[in-house]
Amino acid sequence: MLLLVFGSIFGGPTPPNYTLYVKNLDVDHEGRPGVLSEAFIRALNESVFEVQLLKPGDPYPRSTGFAAIRVLTIPMGFTSNLINATIVNRVDITVETIMMMVEMAGDQIPPEARASISSSMEGINAFRGSMPAGVMTLTLEGSRDDRVLQPIEGIINTIASRFELALLNASSTIDVKTRFNDTRQLRSVDYYLPGYVAAFIMTNGLIGVSSLVSDMRRRGIIKLLASTPVSRTTWTMSIVIVQTVASLILLSVMIAVGWLVFRIAAIPDIYSIIVIILGTLAFTGFGMVIGVSLKEVEAVTALGNSLSFPMMFLSGALWPLELMPPYLQDVARLMPLYYFHSALRETLIVGSVMTATFPSLIVGVMATAGILLAISLTKWRDF
Amino acid sequence: MNEIIVVDKLTKKYGDFLAVNNVSFIVKQGEVFSLLGPNGAGKTTIVEILECLRTPTSGVALIKGMNVKDPSEVKRIKRLIGVLPQEFNAIDNLTVYENVELAASAKGSRNVKDILEALGLWEMRKSAFSKLSGGLKRRVGIAMALVGDPEIVFLDEPTTGLDPEARRETWSYIRKLKKSGVTIFLTTHYMEEAERLSDRVAIIVRGRIAAEGDVRRLVSEQGGKTRLIFEDLGERAAEALRGKGYEVEPITDDRTVVKVSDKSEVFEVLSILRGLSIDAYPEIHHPGLEDVFLRIVGSKISERGELI
Repeated sequence: MLLLVFGSIFGGPTPPNYTLYVKNLDVDHEGRPGVLSEAFIRALNESVFEVQLLKPGDPYPRSTGFAAIRVLTIPMGFTSNLINATIVNRVDITVETIMMMVEMAGDQIPPEARASISSSMEGINAFRGSMPAGVMTLTLEGSRDDRVLQPIEGIINTIASRFELALLNASSTIDVKTRFNDTRQLRSVDYYLPGYVAAFIMTNGLIGVSSLVSDMRRRGIIKLLASTPVSRTTWTMSIVIVQTVASLILLSVMIAVGWLVFRIAAIPDIYSIIVIILGTLAFTGFGMVIGVSLKEVEAVTALGNSLSFPMMFLSGALWPLELMPPYLQDVARLMPLYYFHSALRETLIVGSVMTATFPSLIVGVMATAGILLAISLTKWRDF
Repeated sequence: MNEIIVVDKLTKKYGDFLAVNNVSFIVKQGEVFSLLGPNGAGKTTIVEILECLRTPTSGVALIKGMNVKDPSEVKRIKRLIGVLPQEFNAIDNLTVYENVELAASAKGSRNVKDILEALGLWEMRKSAFSKLSGGLKRRVGIAMALVGDPEIVFLDEPTTGLDPEARRETWSYIRKLKKSGVTIFLTTHYMEEAERLSDRVAIIVRGRIAAEGDVRRLVSEQGGKTRLIFEDLGERAAEALRGKGYEVEPITDDRTVVKVSDKSEVFEVLSILRGLSIDAYPEIHHPGLEDVFLRIVGSKISERGELI
C-alpha cells in the first residue's frame, strides 16, 4: 500500500505538471485581454504548465503544503508592442535579405536599378524607425527557496521564442525528438521499494514478533510448548521460518505491484534473497529477545515502537540519506536497518554484489547475534 | 500396580520463600492421584517440577524411574506426559483442529481426529478457539494434553473458573480417560472434584503434605461419623438418644445433629424416636474429604481456593 501511495506521488510515469499563476496586465480599457497575450497564455497552458489566471485585485496566492507558488506577470501593452516588434523584425529581415541578394547579384543588376532599390530600402528603413518597439519584460516571481524556478524561467523563455517565431511566420529549423531506449534509470519508486521491504521486516520483527512472543508467554502457551518434547531452538527456528516465508511473500508482492504499476527496476536474485533472509533472521531474533526479556506486553510494545520508529525515519529507508543533515547521516549509519536496506538496495535494484558485500556482512553478523541471543534468552524451564 | 511417579523429600524455594517443603509421595500406574490444597499450597510448583518445567531445590522426582533434573532424560520424560496447565490457553486465531494439530506435531503424533472424536470436539473442529465457551476451551486443552498417547496426564486445576455444568462435563471426560488406563495426576482445590475422581489423594497445605492415601480409607479413618440433622427434635428426644450413647449436638435453635457410625445406627435412632411417638426425617450427611480436610488442617477451602 505504501509503495502504491508513495510510488504514485513521487515516482509515477506521468510527467510533472507545474501550476503557474499568470497575472495579465495587457488589457484594454474595458478589461478585455490583448489578442497576443491571450494566445501566449494559451501556449503556456498547452505546455507543461497548468495556468491559473489571476484577476486584477486578486491577492497573491498562498502556498499550501510543499507546492511552490510562481506568478508570471504579462505587462501592459504586451500585444501592441509585440505587433510592432514583429513588424520591425519582418522589415529588418526583408531589407537585409534584399540587400544580400543585391550584393550577391553584383553587376547583373544595372546601376539605375541598384540605386532605385537602395532608395526604396532607405524609405522602408525610415518607416521602420518610426515604429515604437522594444523588449517586453515578463516578470516571473517565486520563492528564493524554489529550486525549480530557474528551469521554469528557461521553459517560459523557450515558449516565448517559439511564440515569436510563429508571429514571424517562420518555422523552427532546430527540433529535438525524444527516442526511448531500453536502459533503465532508477526512479524514486525504485529507491522506495527496498526501503519499504526492509522497514516492514524490521517493524514486523521488533513490534510484531516481540508482541507475539510476549503474548504467548503471558498466556502460558510457551509453557505449554515447553512441556512437550519441542526444544527452544526448534521453537525459535519455527518462528524464524514463518517470518522468513512472510518476508519472501512480501517481497514478491511488492515487486509484482511495483513492476506492474511502476515498471520498477527490481530484479530479485539469489543475493537479494540471501539479504532478505539475513535481515529477517536479524530482526526476528531482536524481536524475540525483546519479547522474552520484558515481562509486560505493554513494555514490549513500547520498546518495539521506540526502537523501530526512529530507525524507520532516520536510517534512510524511506528517503535518501543525502537529504538529511550530516550529523543525522552519521546517526543513520549506527542503525541496523541502514545496513539492511542498503544491502537490499544494492542487490535488488542496483544489482551490485560488490557494494552490497559490506552491509550484507553487517546484516549477517546481526542475524547470527540475534538468533543466538533469542535462543539463549528464551526460558524453557524455571519461567 | 507399578509406581510411575516417585517424589522423595522434594523441596523448592523461590528466594527465601519455601514453596514445597520436603514432600514425598508416590503415584501408581493407571490411577487418578490428586493433590488437594488451597491456592499457594505448592500444587502447581510440584506439577511443574514433574513436567520438567521447574528445577527442584533439593529432593528427587522420578517419572518412570527417570530423574526430572537430569537433562539427558528430559526429552524422554516429555514424550511420556500430557499437560493441561493451570489457566490453560491456546492460540486464539487458530481453530480447534489447528490447535490440537499444533500440540500433536510438537509431540510427533498424528492422532488428532481420534482425540477430537473421543472428546466430542470433531463437529466444532473448524471453530476458532477464541469463540469457544470456557468449558469447551478446557476440553480443547484436555485434547491437546492427550494427543501423542501420553502415559501420564497432568491436569492442573482443570475445572477452576468453569460453571457447574462445564465442571461436571469435564469430570465425565476425566472419568473416561481414567478408564483408558492413563495415569492422571490432578491438582485441585475442589473437595468434591478430588473425592469424585481420585483413587488416592494427598492433602497439601503450605508446601507440606498433611495427609495422603486412598480416598475412601482417608474418609473412613479421618472423616468422622455420619451426621443426622433433625429439625425441632426436642430436649426429651435428645436426652433419650444421649441415654443410648449417641452424640447429640444442637447446631442452631431448631436444628440438632446426631452422629452415627453406620447405617444400622440410623435405623436404631429412628426406631428410638418412633418409640417416643416422634416421626422425624433427618438429613443424612456422610463424611467426605471436606471433613477429612477440616479435621486435619482445621480450616476449609473456599470456592475461590482460599483457606478459610
